[in-house]
Amino acid sequence: MGQALSFQSIFGKLFGSREVRILMLGLDAAGKTTILYKLKLNQTMTTIPTVGFNVETFTMKNIKFNMWDVGGQDKIRPLWRHYYSGTQGLVFVVDSSDHNRIEEARTELHRIINDREMKDCLLLVFANKQDINGAMKPLEVTEKLQLSKLKDKVWYVQPSIATTGEGLLEGFDWVSDNIKKMAKANTK
Amino acid sequence: MSLASRPSRSPQPPTVATLTLEANRTSDPSTGTAVSSQHSSLSVAAPRRSIRSAHKLRSQYPRGSTENHVEYILVASFDVDRGPVMEHQYPVAITGDEHMLAELMLPDQAHVRNQDWTIFFLHKDTSQEEDEEERRAKEERRKRRRRKLDREKGIIHESDDEDEEDGDLDDDDWDDDESTDSEPEGGEGPPLIYVLNLVNTKQDKTVKRGAVVKAMAICTRHPFLHIYKPLLLLALEEYFKSPVPETLSMLFTAVNNMDLSLMPRLTLLERHLLQASDNKDLFVEKFEQMIQMRIAEDRGEDVTDQPFDASRSPPKRPGIFRSGTKAHIEGQSTYSVPRDTHEFESKVMYKGIPIPIKVPVAVMPETVGDFSLIKLIQTFSDVHSKTPQIFPLHPHLTTNGPNTHPIIILVNALLTQKRIIFLGHNLPSGEVADAVLAACALASGGVLRGFTRHAFPYTDLTKIDDLLNVPGFIAGVTNPTFENHPEWWDLLCDLPSGKMKISSRIDPAPITEGLQYFQQQNPTHASLVTGSTSSSSASDLTGDVAFMNDILRGIAARAGERVIRAKWRDWVVKFTRIAAAFEESVYGASALYIGSDDQEANTASNNNGHGYVWCDEASKAKELAGNVTRIEGWRNTRSYYSFIQDVAQLYTVRPLKGLDLHHMHDRLRTQRLSPGQSSEIYTAFSKYVHSYDEICLLLSVAPESHAGLFYLALGLFHKERDVRIRIAVLLERIAEHDAGQHWWKALSRFEKLAYVRIKREAELELAKSKQKDKDAIAAATAAAASYNGVGKRVS
Repeated sequence: MGQALSFQSIFGKLFGSREVRILMLGLDAAGKTTILYKLKLNQTMTTIPTVGFNVETFTMKNIKFNMWDVGGQDKIRPLWRHYYSGTQGLVFVVDSSDHNRIEEARTELHRIINDREMKDCLLLVFANKQDINGAMKPLEVTEKLQLSKLKDKVWYVQPSIATTGEGLLEGFDWVSDNIKKMAKANTK
Repeated sequence: MSLASRPSRSPQPPTVATLTLEANRTSDPSTGTAVSSQHSSLSVAAPRRSIRSAHKLRSQYPRGSTENHVEYILVASFDVDRGPVMEHQYPVAITGDEHMLAELMLPDQAHVRNQDWTIFFLHKDTSQEEDEEERRAKEERRKRRRRKLDREKGIIHESDDEDEEDGDLDDDDWDDDESTDSEPEGGEGPPLIYVLNLVNTKQDKTVKRGAVVKAMAICTRHPFLHIYKPLLLLALEEYFKSPVPETLSMLFTAVNNMDLSLMPRLTLLERHLLQASDNKDLFVEKFEQMIQMRIAEDRGEDVTDQPFDASRSPPKRPGIFRSGTKAHIEGQSTYSVPRDTHEFESKVMYKGIPIPIKVPVAVMPETVGDFSLIKLIQTFSDVHSKTPQIFPLHPHLTTNGPNTHPIIILVNALLTQKRIIFLGHNLPSGEVADAVLAACALASGGVLRGFTRHAFPYTDLTKIDDLLNVPGFIAGVTNPTFENHPEWWDLLCDLPSGKMKISSRIDPAPITEGLQYFQQQNPTHASLVTGSTSSSSASDLTGDVAFMNDILRGIAARAGERVIRAKWRDWVVKFTRIAAAFEESVYGASALYIGSDDQEANTASNNNGHGYVWCDEASKAKELAGNVTRIEGWRNTRSYYSFIQDVAQLYTVRPLKGLDLHHMHDRLRTQRLSPGQSSEIYTAFSKYVHSYDEICLLLSVAPESHAGLFYLALGLFHKERDVRIRIAVLLERIAEHDAGQHWWKALSRFEKLAYVRIKREAELELAKSKQKDKDAIAAATAAAASYNGVGKRVS
């Protein structure tokens, strides 16, 4: 038992024992809350519009995630900036079936990512709702969001279906790996 | 055997006996006018006349007033596409940012709860026109009143005839506050509008995204807004069924028809007494009087309706019964006196259902809603008692060093006007709001003001920019992101964990002149001044450790909310008095205490002293040393300046201006006095305390929770006979007082017996001296007769 404890503490040292704060944003009805509770409870919940925010913590691959899900209606988007400070990872959720609003999503994403307080954070994009006919493929989403324009940014686009959980763990695998890399880089 | 076993000898309050005494009544030392006769004959045999207030009894909310209980009713909803939107406002739209209102009405995470309450305040600036109109109306009323007074005195103005009729009409009921007893009211600007809001989330498969979130709010200027809770529950339910403006108008009419006209208005002193007392009968006379006035009024109307018929028996006076009593229910009388005089019982008819409402009779400044101080104190004490928190030192806050009790940190932060946030993640926003309101009451104690005006019982991120413009605020939030922004607050009180955090970004306390002067004046205590060392934690200089222990013991012993509030009030009063003593000793003067400018009164007050009482100079220096930093921190705040204003304003209306009764009573309580010294104090009490208000003032410095009249009654055992008699007479006056009778009843048997004995002695004395007088007269007449006889004989 003593061994197990010391083993954990080494892990703690390597990756920093404190929580990793993840901020999940996206336009309204993109599937943010569904993703949050699928990850936290492995349950598909019928969600209703988020008034304000949801926040949950869960552990994955020995990393404790503190994940914030903030409501996406356009009037409340100006509040997003208050959640930036201390955020290590941004999860941006896109409704891949909503061709009309992908432009709007791009504008919002670039606005967030260019904020000074977000300059060091990882970017994971969930190209969500892949189960719907006519949904954009990850590559199309990458292009439409003009991710190639982002300089000095670690980003990744992951196709997903929040209601079944498809793609979510893969996405967070990527986040975990990169968080560990960053931690190592910092300790060096 | 004990005296108690002989009921036949049990002393009665004022017994049948006549006691005439050279009271040598001196009138109020400050007014200097001789209102009373030189000798007062205190006849107890006469039918008990009680000492009644000279103020005319009025209703707090008179019949026919144009002022509504509720000013607006609002409904907002969360639109799945647009976020919070306002749906309806009744009777008219509130001016201002409608969207902001809608956001406040839909608190964060309303979607995870079926139901949530919030409270928030609106600072509605009356427009300039309204202000002007209001001012003119007041001026007009004042003029009329002056003219009326003059008329009574026989002075006639030329312009009198013009507005005679309406002048008399509204003089009695329509009074603005300043005219009646000029007690401090709002202070800075117009009164706040308090908003009570209920939000409901209903899952509904038939609508887009599966839920409907709606909120309804009542906007009122009454600080007791919690009375509307049952109505909002019914009305919002109704609104879900029929989302039309008529639903709002129905509620509006119902709440504004609530009748509070039989609730008497109390003066500030009376309100203090009622608040501090647990007695359910205190001031019950006023309620009865209100009802009698109403019955007379009603009968008056009847009389005008029907021609007077002498053969008919006069209308029977309906009995007035205590509400809830058998007699009341059986008697079916229209009017009843409340079961507990702390609460006025009324009802609101909503859709034909009578909804019982209880309105607090005595509301102190800064008391809004139905929060619980006990709950607030427990939240932050329970965790602290198990694992004491260690705080980083800040001179304004950690007045007992790193182990200062969190509640003391909180009250210090409030007094020194810090930015305070109550965070309740995953708690209903109503709980957060209650904590904020309780904190306001904690630091106010009903004495200090300026907290609720800068309180945001519930707020969210949308208002953060406005919030940060307020220097020193008390805000309630549920969003934990606030914790990640230590630059936004100075003190964070986390409700779920019961822990407080002093911000790493808090401004350091400036070194002030007062602090330096104090250290120069008291070199021995300079090192004790908190903040400079942590040694202060060991010795409880401020007495706060003892105070908190007392509070917690009280709560553990199931002392009620009222008791705990009274204790905090004492703490706040003590703080202001220590601050006054500090200013006097360091700056040479203090605006926190006003003596009298009257020469005679000055001598009276000089003899009797004023201010906080310490048992010796050393303990004074120590206690000041413990308080220096927070007093200096307080000296530049809103609550400090408004307190100075209040002191000045209160001074103009308070009885016994030249005397500090509190000081005198404290000396009896805390100091070892020689018989000469105590005699001086007792004599002063008996000389100056006569009128209704004067006795109220005396009772307020001798509350039931502080042994009531015990220290005064000790005067019954004083060495000097004169003092004993004076105190007996004073106690008799108190026993005849509407409120004082309850204090009298609380005296022990022993004290009452002493009172009876003294009176008997005085009677005997009187009888003897009368006998002597008679003898003397007899002797004189005899002498005269013999002289005449001699004369006759000579002639």
